[in-house]
Amino acid sequence: MQFSAGSLQDRVVTLAITILVLIVVSSIIWTGKFASWENLSLVLLNLSIDAIVAVGMMILLISGSFDLSVGSVVAFAGGFAAYLMYYWGVYVPVAIIAALGASLVIGLVNGLLVAYIGINPLIQTLAMMGIVRGLALMVSGSGIQNLPTHFEAFGQSVFLGLQTPVWYMLIIVGVFSFLVARTVFFRRYYYIGGNEKAAALSGIRVKRMKVYSFILMSGLAGFAGVVLAGRLGAAMPTTGQGMELRVITAVILGGASLLGGQGKIAGALLGTIFMGLVANIMILARISGYWQQIILGVILILAVASDILMKRRGGVTAKQYLTKTTGIKN
Amino acid sequence: MMSELLLHLRNITKAFPGVLALDEVSFDLQAGEIHAICGENGAGKSTLMNIISGNHQPDAGQITLSGQDVIIENQLKSQSLGIGIVHQEKSLVGNMSVADNIFAGTQPVSRWGIINRKKMIRDAGDLLHRLGLPEIDPSMPLSQLLPGKQQMVEIAKALSQEPQILILDEPTAAISESDAEILFRIVRRLAGEGKAIIYISHRMSEIFDISDRVTVLKDGQYQGTRQTQETDINEIIRMMVGRDLRHLEYQNHSNTDIVMEVSALTGDRFHDISFDLHEGEILGLSGLVGAGRSELARAIFGIDAKMNGNIKIKGKPVVIRHPQDAMGLHLAYLPEHRKEQGLFLEMSVRDNLAATNLRGLARHSLLSQKDLDAVASHYIDRLGIRTPSAAQKVINLSGGNQQKVVLAKWLLVDPDILIIDEPTQGIDVGAKSEIYRLLNDLTAKGVSVLMISSELPELIGICDRIMIMCHGTMTGILSREDFSEEEIMHYSSGTKNMFKQTG
Repeated sequence: MQFSAGSLQDRVVTLAITILVLIVVSSIIWTGKFASWENLSLVLLNLSIDAIVAVGMMILLISGSFDLSVGSVVAFAGGFAAYLMYYWGVYVPVAIIAALGASLVIGLVNGLLVAYIGINPLIQTLAMMGIVRGLALMVSGSGIQNLPTHFEAFGQSVFLGLQTPVWYMLIIVGVFSFLVARTVFFRRYYYIGGNEKAAALSGIRVKRMKVYSFILMSGLAGFAGVVLAGRLGAAMPTTGQGMELRVITAVILGGASLLGGQGKIAGALLGTIFMGLVANIMILARISGYWQQIILGVILILAVASDILMKRRGGVTAKQYLTKTTGIKN
Repeated sequence: MMSELLLHLRNITKAFPGVLALDEVSFDLQAGEIHAICGENGAGKSTLMNIISGNHQPDAGQITLSGQDVIIENQLKSQSLGIGIVHQEKSLVGNMSVADNIFAGTQPVSRWGIINRKKMIRDAGDLLHRLGLPEIDPSMPLSQLLPGKQQMVEIAKALSQEPQILILDEPTAAISESDAEILFRIVRRLAGEGKAIIYISHRMSEIFDISDRVTVLKDGQYQGTRQTQETDINEIIRMMVGRDLRHLEYQNHSNTDIVMEVSALTGDRFHDISFDLHEGEILGLSGLVGAGRSELARAIFGIDAKMNGNIKIKGKPVVIRHPQDAMGLHLAYLPEHRKEQGLFLEMSVRDNLAATNLRGLARHSLLSQKDLDAVASHYIDRLGIRTPSAAQKVINLSGGNQQKVVLAKWLLVDPDILIIDEPTQGIDVGAKSEIYRLLNDLTAKGVSVLMISSELPELIGICDRIMIMCHGTMTGILSREDFSEEEIMHYSSGTKNMFKQTG
């Protein structure tokens, strides 16, 4: 598959090589500590939640959009499922389905307001990030523990040596890699991201497709939230904070552009793996939490700057970039 | 005409990665002359202008201004040397006043750096008076002016710097014929004041109307300079393309079957439009900018809302609310602005071609790269799209080849009715005749074409009938035997109206 020449390929390949180098170097520095099954499977477990969200974010970025409310949706979905099970005694599957349904509604609202009213995705999802965080606090208060064992099994069981969240991640990444690469439905997002007007004039129902993409995003974030609550055996109102930063960074590292029109699901996974490894290495190197935040921010800036510089080589000016990514003219 | 040598370029060479954009080009400019520069797209006109205006530095060669060697490091330097340029792209801000636009960055200021609004508006008014445009109020917001008048403001802005040399790059590309007349008057007046004008245009008739001399470039090489009065269109075109342009061969493929019947169609910018489109016909749609032609096309294709009237396709009434509905009825639409509305510039030729017909190219909703490649190479051959491969990004193709990609994209859906809006705007002579040939091939197969164009010779050359609009209404529909530029201009300026006795 080649949607665009050189640059995207190069970036994914560069990222894969960087990850390999990180693994080799870390294995040498922290012999035994890093390259142990315990550590690496923990890294995988930790990044599985982000990777599920990154799949949806990649699709949004391909279509030239993004969603900042994902972290809040993760917290809310977990909290809402926990609330239903703990206070109302709702059956586990019913609670999970209700939480997913609520997440889809959040995505629907985002999508309708962005596509049909024309609110900039930055503003719409920023506002939704605040609103849904409020809802998460409302349902889970200071946190809900002692969840049903069936629910914990959903997020904590081990199968073939890997925990269920890792399996969920692998299935979602696998299925969406195929769908995004091969189906007519997802191919439309490349056209919308490439040139929205031309896409509409080519007979693509752009507004409707945008709504679907936001629903899909919130649905995946909601699923990630339920899995996370199951894995932790608890719903905390603060989970998922800062997730949008991590996930968007991962997806851009993995070959997406804020201009839209490019990217692959495999890139989203690689980007998330990179971010997971960096987090793990910072812990092994005993870098303080403050620095971890700072380093993550710097990585995002570097990723976006390199994207702009590469686009400029392709003839896009910084001003066009700003106009297209923020919707702000002049 | 004075013959004082103002600007002299000697053996200018400029290379970009992979292309020699200018190869030892020489060019001279005299005070008081209007000097046209011609050439196909990619001939090096823009590069030459960019060098004169300081955007690019030549790799070799010398520039002499009023007898002195100069180096034009940047735009600021070129301004201070008295060179002004009116770019093809607008550099104006819609919601600021005309005066603010004219003096952007060079507003007259009082002590403390506060803008002296009164003086600025007075100066702007003086400038507009000098250009013979007293009707433009310098304090009104620019966006309230029609596009043609905005172009005049653009020129006023360049003139506010009192340049000795003024470069006009395709100044009439986006304005109507009557505004173009005003523009020509201004340009002649400026030349009369002793300024030298470099005039770049694709439109031959304009060049012969206005210029004193013509310089032709081809593939980055200087082809020669002629006194306009001593040459003719055929010689210039021969110099541009290295061959005689074959006269458009009109082909009659039209028959009496009506494929589309539009009656009393009314929208936001046009009202009560009725016409029939015949099978295998090329129906031209002429009119001045702002006459409502594109709006009519957009409404038919379901992009803009229709308020009244109805459309029948092959005798059946249809409802078209979205381009997808139109496509279902085998309509296709090539928009006016191909880069903004027609192409996915950062995507490959192959992906651009597939855009309109993803479903048709898929098997069980799945796309295969091999199928797409096969289809792409078929259309690349059929339309003669010059690209190194189907994977090439469209942004790297020339204007003419980009337009062929848009056309191919629509041929993929096998349209019965093709609506095309300014298909040859900004593309070179060679690519134009290829587009005409393609249109004739299509009508031979029974496709009907509704073609909007602002180039009268083109419409007269290729159409079976021409329909003319003025201020949102239809003023006339002419058959081939009645075609003439004057006649069409009468209808499009509203001095004649077939459908109204008083006019």
